[in-house]
Amino acid sequence: MESVISCQHLTHYYGKRKIYEDLSFEVPQGRILGLLGKNGTGKTTTINILSGYLKPRSGVCRIFGQDIQTMDPSLRRRIGLLIEGHVQYQFMNIEQIEKFYARFYPNQWRRDAYYELMSKLKVAPKQMISRMSCGQRSQVALGLILAQNPDLLVLDDFSIGLDPGYRRLFVDYLREFVKAENKTVFLTSHIIQDMERLVDDCIIMDYGRILTQQPLQQILQTLHRYSATVPEGYEPQLSDAELYHPAAIRKHFEVYSFLPPDEVKQRLMKAGVPMQGELNSESLNLEDAFIGLTGKY
Amino acid sequence: MYYKEWIKTRWYLLLMFLSTSGFAGYCLLRLHRVIALKGIGHVWEIMLTHDVVFVDYLKYVPLVAGLLLAVVQFAPEMYHKCLKLTLHLPVSHLTVITQMLGFGVAIVLVCDILNFIILWSYMHQVLAYELWSRCLLTALPWYLAGLAAYLLAAWTILEPDWRRRVFNLLVSLLVIKIYFISDAPASYNGFLPYLSVFTLALLPLNWISIARFKEGKE
Repeated sequence: MESVISCQHLTHYYGKRKIYEDLSFEVPQGRILGLLGKNGTGKTTTINILSGYLKPRSGVCRIFGQDIQTMDPSLRRRIGLLIEGHVQYQFMNIEQIEKFYARFYPNQWRRDAYYELMSKLKVAPKQMISRMSCGQRSQVALGLILAQNPDLLVLDDFSIGLDPGYRRLFVDYLREFVKAENKTVFLTSHIIQDMERLVDDCIIMDYGRILTQQPLQQILQTLHRYSATVPEGYEPQLSDAELYHPAAIRKHFEVYSFLPPDEVKQRLMKAGVPMQGELNSESLNLEDAFIGLTGKY
Repeated sequence: MYYKEWIKTRWYLLLMFLSTSGFAGYCLLRLHRVIALKGIGHVWEIMLTHDVVFVDYLKYVPLVAGLLLAVVQFAPEMYHKCLKLTLHLPVSHLTVITQMLGFGVAIVLVCDILNFIILWSYMHQVLAYELWSRCLLTALPWYLAGLAAYLLAAWTILEPDWRRRVFNLLVSLLVIKIYFISDAPASYNGFLPYLSVFTLALLPLNWISIARFKEGKE
């Protein structure tokens, strides 16, 4: 499948602080890819590099085959960008902002898509964006992206500041649009439940590296939480890279892994974990999977 | 692009045109009062012997007007990094910033010309060519300072790194000082062509700020 986004060997530092090194990933055409990571792992940095507002120390990012740093300006017609916090021109009203953007996207602008979404907001057409709630602003930003009708959507923390109703409205509208029109999406969000409803593929980042990049369903089917009873006071000292974040609280021991139960049991026994009774295996939702891979701390 | 700039600045533009015109009108009112009270001969005499130009109230007006225009035009762009939206438009970044600055420069120039027309329209009726041109040429560096203040303020506001912003501010203050070195009427006359070119040469400074914004300097 053709890649819409291709980032190769990205390395970036803020001063002397390493954000990540040698990061590579691709986003195939027609897929919704969610970038998950704890605060400070480089999600917004990645979005900034992708949208051309940050020059990485090394590495290259290509969108539609063109290097972002030297991209033909007209190619930005094919990219919809949602900035963290649903930032829009505060000094404009609903009508003015539509009129402004429409001129930049001749032959592709869908005025009806914008006003269809605006009709759901209980605001007057002349209402200034500065006087809108964050939820209402998110709908304006989404409406503008739908009207732009881009081939690629880059969304930075789209759920920030939204109440559950607006988040659901945003996710449902976005998913409907993207799937019906075979669009590609690269997004981040700190609300993982939203990601679960929306994304096809996941990249889970830890400090300085990618922990995993897989289709969401594959993660949910293969990653399990394994638990067992252990003697009180036991402190796990495992160094197996495929057993994530082993922890014991009183008599309850747990560990996360993509490996099958038998394999995990064998490795735990080999590592000398004093299991009492059976090793239990649980399927996970995305939030549990995320915590399992990145740890609670 | 011009539509956005217009929406953003239109109320300030009204205020700017009214207030600068008001100051120009006030200068003429002072001149008119002196003529009415002491006669035109007295006016000519004090202009020739005491270096009175009757436009001294305008000295810092264009400076403040240009500075505020830059704030009104560019501060909203930097609010929550809204400039990212502008730079994401499918137009080259050089075109975007040149159009934005072009709008501001055009506004400042139109405002300046309007002020000069107001001053000239009365002065040329009561003063000799040598005297009214002396008044206008005395005011010209102050109007160029207004244009410089606009460009330098834009350069400072668009700069993404606050430390560099402080540096830009200090450099701007030094540059602005050039326009106010001498208080003597018409003392800049021989220097005005160079000062005009110098003022317009400040424009590309803004491209540096935009390039730094794009590189993610913070």
